[in-house]
Amino acid sequence: MHAPIRCWAEVRSLREAAQETWWLEVHAPAIAASAVPGQFLMAGFGLTQVGAPFLPRPFSVGWTDRATGTVGLLIREFGAGTRRLARLRDGDQLLLLGPLGRGFHIPAGRPTVCVGGGVGLAPFLFLASEARDSAAEVRLLYGERTADRVFDPVLIAELTGVEPIVYTEDGSIGRHGLVLDGIDVSDDPVLLGCGPTPMLNALEKFARERGSDLQVSVEEHMGCGIGTCQGCVVRGVDDSWLKSCTEGPVFGAGELAWPI
Amino acid sequence: MADLTQTVLGVDWQSPVLLASGTCGYGEEYAELIPLDRIGGLVTKAVSLEPRMGNPPHRVAETPGGMINAIGLQNVGLSAFIRDKLPWLRENLSRARVLINVVGHTEKDFVEVVSGLDDQSGFLGYEINVSCPNVKDGTLFGADPETLAKLVAALRHETERPLVVKLTPNVPDIGLYARICEENGADGLSAINTFPGMLIDIDRRRPVIGNVSGGVSGPAILPMGVYLTWRARQATSLPIIGIGGIRSGSDALQYVLAGATLIQVGTALFVDPQVAIQVHQEIDDYCERNRVTLRQLVGALEIPGDPA
Repeated sequence: MHAPIRCWAEVRSLREAAQETWWLEVHAPAIAASAVPGQFLMAGFGLTQVGAPFLPRPFSVGWTDRATGTVGLLIREFGAGTRRLARLRDGDQLLLLGPLGRGFHIPAGRPTVCVGGGVGLAPFLFLASEARDSAAEVRLLYGERTADRVFDPVLIAELTGVEPIVYTEDGSIGRHGLVLDGIDVSDDPVLLGCGPTPMLNALEKFARERGSDLQVSVEEHMGCGIGTCQGCVVRGVDDSWLKSCTEGPVFGAGELAWPI
Repeated sequence: MADLTQTVLGVDWQSPVLLASGTCGYGEEYAELIPLDRIGGLVTKAVSLEPRMGNPPHRVAETPGGMINAIGLQNVGLSAFIRDKLPWLRENLSRARVLINVVGHTEKDFVEVVSGLDDQSGFLGYEINVSCPNVKDGTLFGADPETLAKLVAALRHETERPLVVKLTPNVPDIGLYARICEENGADGLSAINTFPGMLIDIDRRRPVIGNVSGGVSGPAILPMGVYLTWRARQATSLPIIGIGGIRSGSDALQYVLAGATLIQVGTALFVDPQVAIQVHQEIDDYCERNRVTLRQLVGALEIPGDPA
């Protein structure tokens, strides 16, 4: 794992990709060069900007282009921090720290099923785009509640080369139902999950019942991102608290105490 | 370059800037991000006799101008600290000074941690944590004069190393506690720990923080920290390490003018690890611009109308 890099990154573009959902591209060559899928970065405004959120926020690395030094982030407006990020303009500067944490471990030669709920889609955009040049088969299942929240499937295909199978809970776009409905384990794939806690809990039960390998990327409120504040813990299988920033954010399902 | 050197706690300091306990882990975590040997030093995460699990999540959240945390002193415990953490500090830091933050449930706990560490090398002294607001007995020692007096005396008996007591702001008169530390043999004071606070999620009608309440830190508490440093300064001649909301040289200099000889940068590290170096540089710039040494500024606050 590379040492994290602290750098100011210029905003290259911010596109509205769905309701209250944004695709942000920033220029951060050192992070683009070393990040692996499943890793994250902290994005903030530094210490001198008045009125900005104080703490940086963690985001999965959503995509990289090493040739241009671009890093893509998927941002959904949840609170003050993400709302401020959604108002960025081209040329604005963000203070980044990354890449951070442990990414997905993809065994060679096995198909991968990525199960993304909401902004949990982000690490799989990166993962699928990385897999484009290898022979690995990546299937991408992506769920949202309603159509207006669905991240533009054309943009997903453009970024990753993979056509996502989209599920909405109300059936307003894509298939009607939950992402779990679309998982096919007949060719013994590795399951990767990222999304809301209820989805991860359901996915863990699904994988356990079928004996499938599962890795999940978890999210918890974070302070430092590098293991010092111990703020972002999740419960481990031996009842200890695991730091999602350095011991995760990707965990093998067997490392965690379920339901999380 | 201005003269920022001082002799405090029996040793020379190249910089007044330290990293605060709980925000810099055991040093190693920031090794790639901060040139630690260019600053004054760091204070480790609290070390307790036995490992501690800590509190359930959420443990941290943003507050206006800062953050709230209730980590619950999760730490590896004394034996693992000596085995896994102290060697790195010993082997990798040459100029940065290390204080070990010590915590305990009982006076005996504190004494055993200090006696267990005292023969080790790789650190200067102790910062005694009698002021954590996030565990049940966290401020037991820091808010009761008799208990504090007894604890400091017991620890003084145990070690000849520098003994700094980290004070809680949650007392009516911090000066009283400062004097108690001095009378019982402490070598210095850290002022201040976090303020107790609470955030409520109005949609769920539940506390945001798993522990219900937590400690508030960050720029929002700067004026309280400066005030309490000034109050402590008037009550004692012990050196004071100023802490609370520092994110710039001018923030740090307020503490210095109020009477702090050293300062700690904490929560601001989460926003930008480079803040430690920047604070040092900005103090340097101020001293150079005003043709003063840092020593001349300690406690140099002038209050109009006050007889000097």
